[in-house]
Amino acid sequence: MASEDRTAPAADAAQAGRGARSRLRHPLLLLVAAVVALDVLAFLVVPPFPKHGQPGDACPFPVCFIDGNLELPPPHVVWDLDPANPLPSGSLVIGFHPSITNSLLTMWIVMAAVLLVAYLATRRLRAVPGGFQNLFEWAYESLSNWAVSNGGQAAARHVPIFAAFFILILFGNWSGLVPPIGKVELLRAPTSDLNVTIGLALAAFAYFETQGVRANGLGGYLGKFFPLREFRHGVGAGLLALFVGLIELMLEFVKPITLSMRLFGNIYGGEVALGVITALALAVLPVALLALEAMLNFVQALIFSTLTLMFTMVAIQAHQEEEPPHPAVTPIDQLAAATAAH
Amino acid sequence: MDHLGAGIAVLAITAPALAIGILTGMSSAAIGRNPEAGPQIRGLAIILAAFAEGLGVLAIVVALLAIFIK
Repeated sequence: MASEDRTAPAADAAQAGRGARSRLRHPLLLLVAAVVALDVLAFLVVPPFPKHGQPGDACPFPVCFIDGNLELPPPHVVWDLDPANPLPSGSLVIGFHPSITNSLLTMWIVMAAVLLVAYLATRRLRAVPGGFQNLFEWAYESLSNWAVSNGGQAAARHVPIFAAFFILILFGNWSGLVPPIGKVELLRAPTSDLNVTIGLALAAFAYFETQGVRANGLGGYLGKFFPLREFRHGVGAGLLALFVGLIELMLEFVKPITLSMRLFGNIYGGEVALGVITALALAVLPVALLALEAMLNFVQALIFSTLTLMFTMVAIQAHQEEEPPHPAVTPIDQLAAATAAH
Repeated sequence: MDHLGAGIAVLAITAPALAIGILTGMSSAAIGRNPEAGPQIRGLAIILAAFAEGLGVLAIVVALLAIFIK
């Protein structure tokens, strides 16, 4: 720890350092102990009961425990805005029904918290920042560096939306790991709901499509998928280019699908895995999985926002016919060189 | 035997697992050969691992569909 390094030279300062170190030896160990205690407490105070029964019913060990902790994909409706016409009940229902679900409620809470923190950090801005503002500046600068190192200098324009997606999805993911959320009917991690992730993916899709159209013009952007210019080189080349363009168009629509499915699958799967292992192993093993889930949630937020940034950079690039070879330095240039190979 | 289809769908997770393993090995070798390109390779590796993982998630989606469609 840093305090040890600073107090190492002086002898009596080392005494004080040792005292401070023993007082708060490993905050991480303390956190682990707190989580284990919370798990055991929850099991004693609210033991699992059968899904359609009363608390206190008999509950055989594996099956009923797991059933009590299992979270189904469709979110639980907190406030039904249109009780007169319910969705037809069936196994696979894709319909539109206005309601406030628990994932939407948690999304609003996360948004309010993030906005509040952002507002508190940025009022009374100072040229030499104090603690809180410094933390925010460090976070934004790290995100900006990551975006520019992956996307090239032209990505600096798109850092705000990259950072926005990242922060919202990160805290949305992490909110599912906070103890009551996900186990109480009222609250659920927002990104563990397919509706929310599809919405986020559609927002990202709209963003990079409009950026592409804005950079290349509507004709130029569509010309990437339907390169009628290739007919100049002969009918065969033209048809081939058209075929490749159609595949690219299909891939363009696959992008929001994979973005949403990847996020949903990782977060929902993580929640289910956490619920099942907490039901089975109760106290110590789930903590390890909790730590893994925290890391994976961070990575998934990073992936979603980085991919949105990459798709934006790819979309705003002009269609390359004969490009003078330049050294592919950043990953986005490498990707562009690979896709421009046709 | 109720959800045999879901179980078979989940077997498809081996493919992304192998893909990420190969990616890890080759990117580690690349960083070892050229430590200066470390950050770039690391960034690229994370992104490509997420691509591979996304396909594994499609297997979860098919398994869920297999369970919830009667």
